Amino acid sequence: MTAPSSPSVLSIRKAVKRYGTVQALGGIELDIGEGEFLTLLGPSGSGKTTLLTAIAGFTGLDEGRLVLRGKDITDLPPDRRDFGMVFQGYALFPTMNVRNNIAFPLKVRKWKPADIQARVEECLALVQMEGFADRMPSQLSGGQQQRVALARALSFRPSVLLLDEPLSALDKKLRADLQWELKDLHRKLGVTFIYVTHDQDEALSMSDRIVILKDGLVQQIGEPGALYNAPRTTFVADFLGKSNFLDVEVEGFAGGRARCRAGGESFEVATEAPPAGGRGRVALRPERIRLAPPKGAAFEGAIRQTSYLGERCHVILDHPGFGQILVSCPTWKSGVVPEDGLPVSFDWDADACVFLEDA
Amino acid sequence: MQKASFFRIAMRTGAWMVLAFLLLPMLVVVPVSLTDHSYISLPGQGLSLAHYVNYFTNPRWLEATWQSVVIGVAVSALATLLGTAFAVGCWFLSDFWATVARWVLITPLLVPPVVQALGFYRFWVQLGLIDTLGGVILAHTLLALPYVTISVFAALANLDRRIPQAARSLGASVWTTVISVVVPAARPGMLAGALFAFIVSFDEIVAVLFLTVRNVQTLPKMIWQGIQDNIDPTIAAVATVLTLLTASIMVVVSLRRRN
Repeated sequence: MTAPSSPSVLSIRKAVKRYGTVQALGGIELDIGEGEFLTLLGPSGSGKTTLLTAIAGFTGLDEGRLVLRGKDITDLPPDRRDFGMVFQGYALFPTMNVRNNIAFPLKVRKWKPADIQARVEECLALVQMEGFADRMPSQLSGGQQQRVALARALSFRPSVLLLDEPLSALDKKLRADLQWELKDLHRKLGVTFIYVTHDQDEALSMSDRIVILKDGLVQQIGEPGALYNAPRTTFVADFLGKSNFLDVEVEGFAGGRARCRAGGESFEVATEAPPAGGRGRVALRPERIRLAPPKGAAFEGAIRQTSYLGERCHVILDHPGFGQILVSCPTWKSGVVPEDGLPVSFDWDADACVFLEDA
Repeated sequence: MQKASFFRIAMRTGAWMVLAFLLLPMLVVVPVSLTDHSYISLPGQGLSLAHYVNYFTNPRWLEATWQSVVIGVAVSALATLLGTAFAVGCWFLSDFWATVARWVLITPLLVPPVVQALGFYRFWVQLGLIDTLGGVILAHTLLALPYVTISVFAALANLDRRIPQAARSLGASVWTTVISVVVPAARPGMLAGALFAFIVSFDEIVAVLFLTVRNVQTLPKMIWQGIQDNIDPTIAAVATVLTLLTASIMVVVSLRRRN
């Protein structure tokens, strides 16, 4: 699950980068599979952009190697690595029109003019920008500039495309549309995508695998569903989606279920092996909690606050033992109609809780 | 209301007086250049173009004008080339030492022209550059460099640092990146710098007086000598021609910018 499903195209070996006393990359080990959509996800300062610029060749590593298909590229300058790159803020050449922007990598590679002409048309069609060839970048909207930047980075048929928060400057709706398009483009072209973002929704919706970074270290690698459903640490459980955390005492274990006690209540947690020492911490997703009228479920509490979000409603519950519990329930199908101050009962299934390793 | 309008009248009168104070000394050369006397004076009996004819036919005046233009164009080209290279280099490095280098290059603006000219003189004697065209061009280039670098820096300040990175990632070498991406962005600053450099050289006189004897004769030097030796109104004619030329260039430039 943490290894790529296809043969590795790019391998990062013990990558270390320091800025003064700050360790931006703390010995990253990563294999990226052929044709994979890999996302580097983390908060600002996690090292995700440093890692991407190190792959691109703009940041020199203090230690470690980069290997592309068995060839060491650690010391190659950026222009000899043949990676396409899409930058935050697009970085289109302001003095060139769309056609010349897309033709730029072909011209420096000394393609024949007829081939360049044909390839530019092909790339414009690829990003649905036919008819914009003679516009200047300043005459395009943000989304259009983003498409041109994509076409330019793909025009010379690189085997790996690096994307540095390419959608961060766009509004929410356009961002969602472009996510579908990027995913479609990736499927059509079979190019390896390495995508940097701090946006968990982007990461979950597009990636084959997600690498979660914090303080220059890999926290967890996995497929979106696996990461979401089985976070290993408090950080991952909290960063990828929202979680409630409960510190539990394990009282017994039988048949793949651990009998746990927390906040004066007892419940079961499905697990293969409960933590040693009889103490642990579990993460509980807000959408896995069921609400019911009083006495309708195992635990009794009261609604402190609600937040209506359209298709979902977020509810903060007060429970005398657990403290505050966040619940996310669909607005169209709910055991109760959430309302501030309303007494409710709630529970969850045994497989809703996940033991974390860093309790 | 009464008070406010009095205030306005006072302000306007003041503004026009300042303007007149600035412009009249410049404009007084126009009637002087048209005088019918052979010495600097206002026209007496009638107007005369004799001094214009003298300027455009006297080989000494024409030779001096030609030399000033040659020096100005050479200085403009040289200073733009060196200044742009310097500014682009600093922009790429943009670290502590690049900032120090920028300040060092701008210091010629702070040193009094006479002190600079004296410095040039001492070195130029040793280099054998006294009274040569090359010597004047070199000195003027050094004087013009700060103007070029300042205007190129201003043009590059708006350039996104990711743009040359994009060019590199797309396969361009450092050299190709500079030529195809950075220099086009710097072009407005280079043009302004080239114009500044030409003007700095064209009306520079202190260094020219220190560095030249008889071989090199620039227009400002001719005017200077003309005032010292005789009181020939041709000087006024030359001044009028130069003022008209500068004014028309300004008009053309500002009209083009508006389009």
